[in-house]
Amino acid sequence: MSSSSVVIPGQRICKVEEEHIAGIGTYVRNGFINSSLLGIVTFTPNKEDKQEVTVAHEREHSLVPTLGSLVTARVTNLNQRFCKCSILNVDGTNLIEPYSGIVRKEDVRATDKDKVEMYSSFRPGDIILARVLTYGDLQSFLLTTGENELGVVMATSEAGGSLVPISWNEMQCSKTGNKEYRKVARVQPRNVVINDG
Amino acid sequence: MLKSKVFMLKTKKGSIMKIVREHYLRDDIWCGFLACELCSHDDEKQLPVLELSPPTSSNLCPGSHYLIPDTNVLLHQIDVIEDKSVTNVIILQTVLQEVRHRSAPCYKRIKDCIDDPGKHFYVFVNEFHKDTYVERLPGESSNDRNDRAIRISVMWYGKHLALSDDSLRVVLLTDDVANREQAKQNGIHAFSMKDYVKSLGNASDLIDKLSTDENKVIDGKPLYPEHLPLSQIQEGIKNGKYMQGTFQASRENYLEAYVNIRDEEHQVFIQGHDYVNRAIQDDLVAIEMLPEDEWTCPSSWVLEDEEEKGDEEDIKEDEIVRTSTGKKSKIPSGRVVGIIKRNWRQYCGMLQKSVLKGSNRHLFVAAERRIPKIRIETRQADVLDGQRIVVVIDSWPRTSRYPQGHFVRKLGNIGDKDTENEVLLLEHDVPHSSFSGAVLKCLPSLPWIITDDDLTHRVDVRHLPICSVDPPGCTDIDDALHCIELSNGNYQVGVHIADVSHFIRPGTAIDKEAANRGTTVYLIDKRIDMVPELLSSNLCSLRSEEDRFAFTVIWEMTKDAKILSTLFHKSIIRSKAALTYAEAQLRIDDKSMKDDVTEGLRRLNSLAKILKKIRIRNGALTLASQEVRFHIDSETHDPIDVQTKELRETNSMVEEFMLLANISVAEKILDEFPDCALLRRHPAPPASNFEPLIRVAETRGFKIDVSCGKALADSLDAANIQENPYFNTMLRILTTRCMMQAVYFCSGMCAKSDFPHYGLATPIYTHFTSPIRRYSDVIVHRLLAVAISADATYPELLDKHRSQSICNNLNYRHRMAQYAGRASVVLHTQIFFKNRILDEQGYVLFVRKNALQVLIPKYGLEGTVYLMDANQQTMFTYNEEESTQTCGDVSLHMFDPVTVQISIDSTNIQHQKLCMKLIKPVIPNFSVNPCQNITEDQPPNKKLKN
Amino acid sequence: MASLDLLSDQGFRIDGRRPKELRKIQTKLGVFAQADGSAYIEQGNTKVLAAVYGPHEVRGGKSKVLHDKALLNCQYSMAVFSSGERKRRPRGDRKSMEMTQHLQQTFEAAILTHLYPKSQIDIFVEVLQSDGGNYCASVNAATLAVIDAGLPMKDYITACSASIVNDTPIVDINNFEESAGNLEILIAVLPKSSQIVFMEMNGKLHEDHLEKVIDMAMMGCSDVYDILDQSVRDHVSHLSSALCLNK
Repeated sequence: MSSSSVVIPGQRICKVEEEHIAGIGTYVRNGFINSSLLGIVTFTPNKEDKQEVTVAHEREHSLVPTLGSLVTARVTNLNQRFCKCSILNVDGTNLIEPYSGIVRKEDVRATDKDKVEMYSSFRPGDIILARVLTYGDLQSFLLTTGENELGVVMATSEAGGSLVPISWNEMQCSKTGNKEYRKVARVQPRNVVINDG
Repeated sequence: MLKSKVFMLKTKKGSIMKIVREHYLRDDIWCGFLACELCSHDDEKQLPVLELSPPTSSNLCPGSHYLIPDTNVLLHQIDVIEDKSVTNVIILQTVLQEVRHRSAPCYKRIKDCIDDPGKHFYVFVNEFHKDTYVERLPGESSNDRNDRAIRISVMWYGKHLALSDDSLRVVLLTDDVANREQAKQNGIHAFSMKDYVKSLGNASDLIDKLSTDENKVIDGKPLYPEHLPLSQIQEGIKNGKYMQGTFQASRENYLEAYVNIRDEEHQVFIQGHDYVNRAIQDDLVAIEMLPEDEWTCPSSWVLEDEEEKGDEEDIKEDEIVRTSTGKKSKIPSGRVVGIIKRNWRQYCGMLQKSVLKGSNRHLFVAAERRIPKIRIETRQADVLDGQRIVVVIDSWPRTSRYPQGHFVRKLGNIGDKDTENEVLLLEHDVPHSSFSGAVLKCLPSLPWIITDDDLTHRVDVRHLPICSVDPPGCTDIDDALHCIELSNGNYQVGVHIADVSHFIRPGTAIDKEAANRGTTVYLIDKRIDMVPELLSSNLCSLRSEEDRFAFTVIWEMTKDAKILSTLFHKSIIRSKAALTYAEAQLRIDDKSMKDDVTEGLRRLNSLAKILKKIRIRNGALTLASQEVRFHIDSETHDPIDVQTKELRETNSMVEEFMLLANISVAEKILDEFPDCALLRRHPAPPASNFEPLIRVAETRGFKIDVSCGKALADSLDAANIQENPYFNTMLRILTTRCMMQAVYFCSGMCAKSDFPHYGLATPIYTHFTSPIRRYSDVIVHRLLAVAISADATYPELLDKHRSQSICNNLNYRHRMAQYAGRASVVLHTQIFFKNRILDEQGYVLFVRKNALQVLIPKYGLEGTVYLMDANQQTMFTYNEEESTQTCGDVSLHMFDPVTVQISIDSTNIQHQKLCMKLIKPVIPNFSVNPCQNITEDQPPNKKLKN
Repeated sequence: MASLDLLSDQGFRIDGRRPKELRKIQTKLGVFAQADGSAYIEQGNTKVLAAVYGPHEVRGGKSKVLHDKALLNCQYSMAVFSSGERKRRPRGDRKSMEMTQHLQQTFEAAILTHLYPKSQIDIFVEVLQSDGGNYCASVNAATLAVIDAGLPMKDYITACSASIVNDTPIVDINNFEESAGNLEILIAVLPKSSQIVFMEMNGKLHEDHLEKVIDMAMMGCSDVYDILDQSVRDHVSHLSSALCLNK
């Protein structure tokens, strides 16, 4: 099988063997990896020396956050107990339509949970990195920023300037130099996705 | 998968709806020519094909050719087309559809031709072929479009065949001059049917079969009013101006008829030439009601169309008819304004040779009295004289007194018994050809052995004292009985019916044949079996001392004939004795006989008496009809004596148990199959049917109560006259004629309230007990077998529409079989009286205006004593109120005993009829003297059925 | 006439097809830009448009949210001009509601909804012209639209109807055969595995015939599959070249 060819839903791609595992756009039935999409099949080697079989559709929108997904979200509103945000990107894939997510007060950081104040962690408009905690019992996904690498990555100050992180919980306005409190993410380059929105 | 590249839209405008249908055109339709390499075809499927080089004897068109007839040729010349010398015909789909639309019987006949491999008929599906499809042009009538489609197809064939074999040609047969012209312009060989047939070598036979040309109407003044066009009729029916119904001509007076209005109970009376207006028996006609002051009533004349009258001659009977109309008892009358659908068929009859020497035009007299004479053209008149022939009607123009027809075939000499039987069977549409090879192949091979497998599925009751009781000479024994006393003092009664459904499996050739025949037809000297003889007289016949399969109904009954339980199962039986009614009666009466069978018979007899009493108490009617038995001379096969059938107690005994079995089975199958059980119902007759009966009974001082079956039965029982013991029987005969026909029906197609059987006074009834001679019983057997899980269903059995269509056919066949049986009796009566003149005692059954209808109980014979002389003069005065004819001081009432002289009137050799003359009461100048050999026998006074 | 022959002795149906033949099928994928996926299908004179949206957040009430899979929302409607008589309401009548249910059941069997928990997928089907086999055309159109939308599904779903005339099964029955005959069997299958995901029978049929008719419908489904497959491949031939260029 050539490394890139068009497959259709239900089409058998290859056997589930040592070297092949089913990736996105495929499913396994009766010991075979089948395509579930119309698209191009690709074989990508992964860490454990296996070929991950994926099928990519022309339009790559069809992603829903799953448990443990790393998502990029924009904070939309805020109260003392939680903040609401809309998820814009899941695992590096931009969504066409956003899903809504919630970061509860106790999920903002991993330590000193009882001392968290929402207003000094997020502000509406902030772009945050978060991980999907659970599907939640409401309409929204429960997100957590309780890791060093998670939290606000981009924000705008009250004066309108962009904020630059200065510590794990403070950011400084590039215009006025005022400091504002945030739950700041220690940005690791491979996790950063620049979102135009 | 082949699909057309092009597809057309067919638009059909209904009221407002616009219907769009797809119409696929294909390129995979075979032309039917075997050597054709252009068309793809799968050989096995399309069996009937054209011959490679069809033989021909036509000098119009030498060389091999195929025929393509158009619609009208098929419709009108089907008799020629059917002839075996006409082969290699291509039937276009367009033509076939038109034929189907216009005449169902004709369509069926063409289909038979197509299915006959010897005829080499091929149906070309031109409407779906991409090269022969024709779209209707704007402004083009559908007829013109079809004609064009036919021509295009013929042209296509011409070109197509030339590619394979350029000596082959196609010939279009059309009687339409314009069409022929256009065809010639297109380079098509086109002939009229007449020209083509004349060009054939062996033509003389075929020419007679040609239908008369409709265009060639004899000039002259129109004798009949014009028929309205169909569109006008339909409109009239819609707005209630006209009504439609089937035309039923009177048997007695050819100028009178009734029309059974569709969907309504009542009949409309039609009288006179102008009003009958060329309608023929069974036609679907449109009628207009006459204003009430023009209503008439049946004239009570018995009138036959005797002499040949010229077309121009005025129709004077009309006047007689009109003037004789009485003042009272007028009934709704109407006139025929148009024909919606002709229902012509082939008619048997004979030629009435033209008085003109050398004339080709002759009249044909049908055996069926309700059919008018038909004018035919033949050159074989001398050959056909004295023969029974078959003729069809082609048309009935306004200017012609008689319908025009043509000769189809001859059957044989008049008076020849085989010929007459053939006539009888044909007239009653009884399928009587011998069984085909495919049918015979379905029969089990002999010797027939009961396998172990059979034993496991059946209850072995060979030890029971089973016997059968039937009329003498019966070879198709389909029922047997037994009765034993159980240890608890109750009786176990068993009815064992031949298991015909074991041998006739659904869907086989034998099943289809039996379903079509519907019933065995009994003629006096012949039996036309429903199933081959091996089954009817051997394997299915429950003969004595032979192991046979049966379907058994077992009841446990108390000694008062109360049913405690009913059980059905398939069984193996061994009849201990096959008795006649007389033998069984002797056994019962012979006190010295104590064997199992006889004891069983006695028990059955006692139970039957109780059952009968219960039945009568519930209001079952005992009606009388005349059944006669001929003693046939073994040498000449002519009847030498006639007797009415005797009825014994044992007849009634068998009957009771058969009724019981039928009812039990009916309940069971209805329970199991509420939607598709085959049942038999007998509708209660409308009260108006009884009016004549009530009137005549009143003349004798009896009141007949017809409010319900029970009341009727009781009042009939009460009506007895001491000095006229036959009176009661006659009343019952009259009552029988008031009844409706009992019919088979499918339970899913009929309202529950219509289920009851009026005559038997049971809420539900079916036929189970004679599967050898009735197909209905075979179906009922199958249903019952499924109900007791002894057999599996099959799709048709559970389809109520198919069941109903089976029922319709059975009803038709059943009725026809009855008529055929009666006709056979008449035939034999005539043969019996051929060389005899006998004086017999009889009774007046009806008093007509110019005749008496007399019943001779001894022969079960009904005849007419005309009271008129040749000049229509009578010495009798007719009293319509009291139905009497008076001459001097002698007055004749209904039910009066008379003595008549019976002979055969052979003045017209071709049309023999029974002639009766009055002997007693003596009326001077009218009654005749008794002949020498007065029969001293007294008329049998005993009642037919108690 | 009393009863028109749905199948002539020569083995042709009213419209000139043989018993085993489908009507002409024409398809088009990606007919709408707004929808995530869309398709148009003509099966003879039955013409159906399908559009797919999603997955997206569940709209209209939190109660509808499913935690383990996507909510499949179907809507079947018939254009008012689709049949011989003008329809009063295009959707919401009992028949349409039933059809909606059927479509939903059918597609739940094929779309891998568990990949999209708490989200919603919309399938809108509009019958533009109806000439029998509405359900089948709707399923086939929706399948194409789902494929066009790039929603993962186990396999195509193809649907086909069948009936029986004089003991001969006929496939893909049109409106006339639907109303004149007394039986219709609808089957939707996953053609690769020949699994039946939906089956409905209207009318009465003897069990002896059932197998024959189902086989006929299955055969129809697999024929439909071949046609749909071809049309999808034709459609992606440009896509594949476009994608190759991208790389």
